[in-house]
Amino acid sequence: MRCDEFAGPVLYGDEWRGQDFQGRRVAVLATGRDAVRVLPVVARTAGSVKVFLEDADWVLPVLPRPARMLLGPRGRRTVARIHLRLSVRDPWLRRLLTPDDRFGDHAATSSHGFYRAIQGERCKLIRWPVYAVTEHGVRSAEGIEHRVDVIVVPAPGRLGRARPKRITRTTSQREELTA
Amino acid sequence: MTFDFDEMLQTIKDKQWSLADIDWDAPGAETMTDEQRAKMQPFMADLVWIEHVGARGFASLATKAPTPVIKEIYEYFHAEEQKHANAELALMKRWGMLDEDGTVPEPNINVKMAIKTLDTFGDSLPLTGLATLIPLLECALDGALVKFLLDEIDDPVCHQVFKHINSDEARHITVDFQVLEHIGAGPLHKLLIESASNLKPQVILGLIVVFVPLINKMRDNIVAMGLPEQKLYNAVKRFNTIGSRGEFTKRIPAYHVLRSQAGMVVNRAHPYHRLLADPLVRITSFVPARVLGKPQAWTEELTHEPVAS
Repeated sequence: MRCDEFAGPVLYGDEWRGQDFQGRRVAVLATGRDAVRVLPVVARTAGSVKVFLEDADWVLPVLPRPARMLLGPRGRRTVARIHLRLSVRDPWLRRLLTPDDRFGDHAATSSHGFYRAIQGERCKLIRWPVYAVTEHGVRSAEGIEHRVDVIVVPAPGRLGRARPKRITRTTSQREELTA
Repeated sequence: MTFDFDEMLQTIKDKQWSLADIDWDAPGAETMTDEQRAKMQPFMADLVWIEHVGARGFASLATKAPTPVIKEIYEYFHAEEQKHANAELALMKRWGMLDEDGTVPEPNINVKMAIKTLDTFGDSLPLTGLATLIPLLECALDGALVKFLLDEIDDPVCHQVFKHINSDEARHITVDFQVLEHIGAGPLHKLLIESASNLKPQVILGLIVVFVPLINKMRDNIVAMGLPEQKLYNAVKRFNTIGSRGEFTKRIPAYHVLRSQAGMVVNRAHPYHRLLADPLVRITSFVPARVLGKPQAWTEELTHEPVAS
């Protein structure tokens, strides 16, 4: 996702660490495991956070190391599923946070505060696909421009799943396709 | 020839548009007369909710998509249907059809029942049923309702918005039928097993009690408003024509069931109306909304604001 046009700061990788967002509006563009890492910390100082979550991952509660070692991949998913069920009461939000393992297993990341943070009053989860970043904010496919002051992109390389090779077409070719 | 879903996904990404691209204060709103406003308000409210419920349908389809690329396409379609509902709400706001706070109009009882059905069974419905129902509704929406709206209204902003919406819908219909081809080309035993799973009592009951009166109420409302019935025939004819063009779509039992149901819906003289649809419209009008419980949070996501902060 190109963020060149955005007027405010764009923090890539770990640049969000140690930042005081001073009540500003922050957008986090991330996949599951990165959002889990970033959100609880960013939400502490931001005025509001919109998490544009590209793909959800499983979230485990913080377990003692021996318990983590004992759980196999299936066990981790079961624990994560129970954790989600117990932590998120709203069925629609829970649906949005449930990973789809049909085409490949999702990672299970440990986090103590992600589900609490995402349900906080100042946070909003957005699962609409993001298609552009403009001067003032992030545009997602439900047709709304979300105005923000700062954009955090913790792992740009992980965004853009199942993306086909970019095809260069002239406008008339594109018009023809949708005629 | 195999359809290139990857290329379609790229086209969908390239063709994204935003409510912020439209000048909602541009001249033209004054072309809406008071008489038109009163006539079109319930139609627009229904249209917004049908798009919004359609969006939820795509969300369920995404969980059933046969490939990751089709899943991503459905995720975009989910968002695009939401965008259409938002844009139609913004048109309502522009035409003074909403109150001062821009409150979203309350859905009618049949829409509320459809929401309840989708919340309860949407994600467990088999792919073939939903994948056949959605293109039928889109053909009706695209071919009849939207054409009617554009014939009735002169506002250039409305025409600009629907140019975008129609372009999106054309892609939706193309993909919908290509997915039917994809499903239809699968092994026959799998199709039959999946179709048999459509026969669960809750699915049959849901389709009959929820969608029969929903569609009939809308059908009668818009015909009463002046939509020529011929347009409805043409929409269903289009569903038949595109479906029969495919090599494998006709192997899907749900396609045949819905095609014949659609044929009955457009023909007002058919006993289907007298014996089933009309009584169901009457009966469902007595259902108190509170028995349906609180709808899920997705129903609160509609907005007429092009920007959110």
